[in-house]
Amino acid sequence: MMACTSAHHRRRCLSNVKSVTMPVTTKILFCIVTVLYIVIKSESLSVDNISSDVKFKNVDRTIDLTSQLVKITSKITLENSGKSPVKNFLLAVEASTKNNLAFVGAKDNSNKDLRIAETTVKGYDNVKFWRVELKETLNAGSTVSITTDTVFTKALQPYPTAITQQEDQLVKYTGNLYVYSPYYVTSQKTNVVINTKNVESFTKIKPFSQQDGTIQYGAYSNIAPFTEKELSVHYKNNSPFLTVTRIERLIEVSHWGNIAIEELIEVEHTGAKLKGPFSRYDYQQDHHSGPASVRSYKTFLPASASDVYYRDTNGNISTSNMKIKKDSVELDLRPRYPLFGGWRTHYTLGYNVPSYEYLYHSGNDYLLKMRVIDHIFDDMQVDELTTKIILPEGSTGIKLNVPYPVTRLADSLHYTYLDTKGRPVITFKKTNLVENHIQDFQLRYTFPRLLMLQEPLLVVGFLYALFLCVIIYVRLDFSIHKSEHHKE
Amino acid sequence: MQASAVAPPGNGHNKGIFHNTAGFSTLITVTVLSLAWLAGFASRLFAVIRFESIIHEFDPWFNYRSTAYMVQHGFYNFLNWFDERAWYPLGRIVGGTVYPGLMITSGTIHWILHTLNIPIHIRDICVFLAPVFSGLTAIATYLLTSELWSRGAGLFAACFIAIIPGYSSRSVAGSYDNEGIAIFALQFTYYLWLKSVKSGSVFWSICTALSYFYMVSAWGGYVFIINLIPLHVFVLLIMGRFSQRVFVSYTVFYIVGLLLSMQIPFVGFQPIRTSEHMAASGVFALLMAIGALKYLHSLNPKGQWKQLLIVGGLLAAGVVFLAVVLLTYMGVIAPWSGRFYSLWDTAYAKIHIPIIASVSEHQPTTWSSFFFDLHVLVCTFPVGLWYCIKNINDERVFVALYALSAVYFAGVMVRLMLTLTPVVCVLSGIAFSILLDLVLREDELPAPPVETDESKNLYDKAGKLKKRTHEPVAPSDAGLGMNVRSGTLIAFMILLMLFSVHCTWATSNAYSSPSIVLASYGNDGSRRILDDFREAYGWLSQNTADDARIMSWWDYGYQIAGMGNRTTLVDNNTWNNSHIALVGKAMASNESAAYEIMSMLDVDYVLVIFGGAIGYSGDDINKFIWMVRIAEGEHPKDIHEADYFTERGEYRVDSEASKTMLNCLMYKLSYYRYDSGGSPPGYDRTRGALPGNRGFKLTYLEEAYTTEHWLVRIYRVKKPDEFNRPRLPLAKRSISTTNIMSKKLPVGNEQVTSKRRKGLLKNKPTVVKGKKVRLE
Repeated sequence: MMACTSAHHRRRCLSNVKSVTMPVTTKILFCIVTVLYIVIKSESLSVDNISSDVKFKNVDRTIDLTSQLVKITSKITLENSGKSPVKNFLLAVEASTKNNLAFVGAKDNSNKDLRIAETTVKGYDNVKFWRVELKETLNAGSTVSITTDTVFTKALQPYPTAITQQEDQLVKYTGNLYVYSPYYVTSQKTNVVINTKNVESFTKIKPFSQQDGTIQYGAYSNIAPFTEKELSVHYKNNSPFLTVTRIERLIEVSHWGNIAIEELIEVEHTGAKLKGPFSRYDYQQDHHSGPASVRSYKTFLPASASDVYYRDTNGNISTSNMKIKKDSVELDLRPRYPLFGGWRTHYTLGYNVPSYEYLYHSGNDYLLKMRVIDHIFDDMQVDELTTKIILPEGSTGIKLNVPYPVTRLADSLHYTYLDTKGRPVITFKKTNLVENHIQDFQLRYTFPRLLMLQEPLLVVGFLYALFLCVIIYVRLDFSIHKSEHHKE
Repeated sequence: MQASAVAPPGNGHNKGIFHNTAGFSTLITVTVLSLAWLAGFASRLFAVIRFESIIHEFDPWFNYRSTAYMVQHGFYNFLNWFDERAWYPLGRIVGGTVYPGLMITSGTIHWILHTLNIPIHIRDICVFLAPVFSGLTAIATYLLTSELWSRGAGLFAACFIAIIPGYSSRSVAGSYDNEGIAIFALQFTYYLWLKSVKSGSVFWSICTALSYFYMVSAWGGYVFIINLIPLHVFVLLIMGRFSQRVFVSYTVFYIVGLLLSMQIPFVGFQPIRTSEHMAASGVFALLMAIGALKYLHSLNPKGQWKQLLIVGGLLAAGVVFLAVVLLTYMGVIAPWSGRFYSLWDTAYAKIHIPIIASVSEHQPTTWSSFFFDLHVLVCTFPVGLWYCIKNINDERVFVALYALSAVYFAGVMVRLMLTLTPVVCVLSGIAFSILLDLVLREDELPAPPVETDESKNLYDKAGKLKKRTHEPVAPSDAGLGMNVRSGTLIAFMILLMLFSVHCTWATSNAYSSPSIVLASYGNDGSRRILDDFREAYGWLSQNTADDARIMSWWDYGYQIAGMGNRTTLVDNNTWNNSHIALVGKAMASNESAAYEIMSMLDVDYVLVIFGGAIGYSGDDINKFIWMVRIAEGEHPKDIHEADYFTERGEYRVDSEASKTMLNCLMYKLSYYRYDSGGSPPGYDRTRGALPGNRGFKLTYLEEAYTTEHWLVRIYRVKKPDEFNRPRLPLAKRSISTTNIMSKKLPVGNEQVTSKRRKGLLKNKPTVVKGKKVRLE
């Protein structure tokens, strides 16, 4: 049971020390970094051509619809049918689903990530393209196999959109029967995983087969580039449809050995809305009641997390459990009330981690390596993330490296215990995130270690002045006339 | 436990060894006071340690909400704050109906801390404000008692007040209420008043007025001060103790205090327009008259002038009294308010103002609660009072009056135990100090040197007084033997120890429950937290429309506004009795009658507290009879209290209950689909009965949410189009448009009300696609 009080868990970071020339230089540096960042970002949106040499010889596609996300994994056998070697190839995403796209990734045979960058192709303004850089150039006539992952959020539509407490949640997936690709696809197969036998309807284009939990399409051969054909599956999906509508992640670095992390999280159940009354009686009698509702979920924190608190504006949320495991801390978070479709909740989750695991330094140069976003629940989808990093007072020369494009917001200052000039706060934002985005950012900065003494000296100086004042005051006589006792 | 630890130094200060240096006694004083502060602070933290740092109960939630508003929007916006989320559809002018001292105090602390870059949340300041102020109260009590008797007695009194349950009941961490700071202001004002009476200096009188101003801004109990101080002056006059000092201090205090108190918007012109404040004005006038007569007397101090003085004084008193009566009769001065009457006649509220009588803290005090709140001090404080009266002087007249009036008020209302507690601590401090003086004196030194030492020790305080206090005591202890002394000493030490144990126990068990978080203990001692209130309020705040209006009994108004952030119809402010009666009537009526009231009041959700599943006795069914009474007071035609009782006059919920009871809204909302709670299913554990009306359906409301332990049940009021509609089979649901037009038109012609015809155009041109409309 986590009984936490805010007063007791408010971080005290006595880490910031004074620097002499901070404000102007930092500001300029921030500007430079931002400008550089924009330049890099605009560069990445380059223009590419579709090479007619490249062909997809075989594609094995798996569409995983078991959770609230649509996860498409394709094993592509890439063939260079031209004469010149190929260094990269393009991935495309349909115009209709590109707004739902949260993540694209590509791996090679040995399961290593390939570099990937957003790009455009003339004549296909509505289509979203990604250029994948191959590790080794693909010579003419040879093949290579690549695995790509794409994750879509909000691609499953609850249908009907509102259900009563006892009903199961049915959702509808609409996608593309064929692999959407800028290249000619010689042969392809599609596996739709739904993990249920309760299928209301699905597209029936031969050849297809339905086994328990999966629907197989294909093999289809010789499909032209950019072919679209509707694939729709209407099935039961009672997995938690939880969306984190907003999360603010606050990382406060202290050089005294602690990093405090606080996450303000707003969650909404974005599945089929609850229609009609909520009955506690039914909910209590029958544990299968409210199949689409979410009673609790698990959050995994770093193994070294301590002093965990889980609260909202009304105080500690007493319905939670914490298990310490070997490689993580498992939190069983139960919101104050079960979440039915359309219901929302919000909470604050905070904990401390020791800084030696995340903060490296040589001399006065520091490197902070932490996750942009951490695990909230399995198959999470996050609409908007704001990460704020509070560095010790007096940090300069801040450089941020992020694993994927984010929007960097203006830096600000944060004042807390014993601060004089404020601590620099680095803020960045990103929308539409999924679990694949749990990656590290790197933040480099310079901090003169001597400044660590500033705060203790401040306290010492204050107490010294206070006692001095008392000593002087006691020895002075402010009375206008002499008191009687002096005569005695 | 701290008390016993700190008590010995308190008496040790009287010992001869320590008298050598003045610094030493200051050191002891400072140490004891800071330990008392610490003990007082620590003993109030039970709730924080057991539960969490959270605002308790009901009123504190409003105070917290308005403090947060002030911190967020600034002081002037707070003063002008019109809260449209309370008392729907009336709203509440918060700035003008609140004592802002509490909010300003914590707001100031918040501002200072944030200027120093100490980012403490305003909630934590609010939670810990009362415990911090208990330390200040201890210091103020010490000062007051030292003025009255001696510093040793002051230290005793400070230790007592720091931990006494009668005070900690209102000032535990999280109990963020006016009383928390008001007792400090009360004690400090009295201290300054005694100081000014003693010295007759304008400076101290001004200080008194300023402290009084703070008290006025903090608590409605300031009326106690503005009646007690004039009473003191009046009694001094009767006793023939008129002096220039009294004259100066009272006149200055009265004028400055009056002007300052009128600056508080909520108080406004009350100090000159209501009967509660007239005693102060009357005494002021009387004092002026007597001052004038005295002056005349001093011009010619001969025999017949003395009689004139007495006659003139009586005459002046009579004139003042008649003037007040006359002005009240003419309506210039408002007569006593009902709340005031209930102080004189304990049955008054029950008959005339059920809303006051319905609050448990307004009930008359039982004997046991005197002991519970004050423990051994209830026995020792008459001793202190006796000594004060025996060695009477101007200040001790005051404390005697304070004690007598506070005892009376504490007997009338449980809540006013709070005003009694400080004076009990003061007088018990004096009693214990005298006792230890008696017991310990001869062990150290012979009596005469002690006295000189005593006065030497206190050279920086008023030395004169100390001499006076100890002269009469000295001879009385001559005949005590050694064994008697040590026996008494041990006995009283044990008493003090028991006192501190009792204080800790009472604070921990009786007064440290946040009441919004309940805890139950299993057979194996494991603790289970019942967090249903916050569950429900959290649900309200997240899953209802932002402007949703919640109807509930007024007890929960502040909590819904504070935690749920939703509009309420009535709340704990209880300023509008008829509005509350309307809500009571809705709860007491049957469903369809209630629906009329609810749609009249735009109610979206109804919230009821139902403790039947877990045996929580403070639920709405148990309070229901007060709702009926209050509703009957305003709507005697519709609601009759007798209908809700059985023929034998019993209040029951089972099958023998009256039909009105079984069909009223409150009953239905409480027991709707309630079938859990063990065996037999549907058993109400609070009332130990099986509900008489079960399996019914609701027509006008639907269950929106019920918390895990059924404690809070929220119902949504259906819109008119959601009920009473005949169910059509699917086949018949097609609508023929032509028929509707022909049906509706005659209705429109017959009905005179414009409502029905809204949106209907006569001679509406029919547009046919692809054809031009010909204009003729």
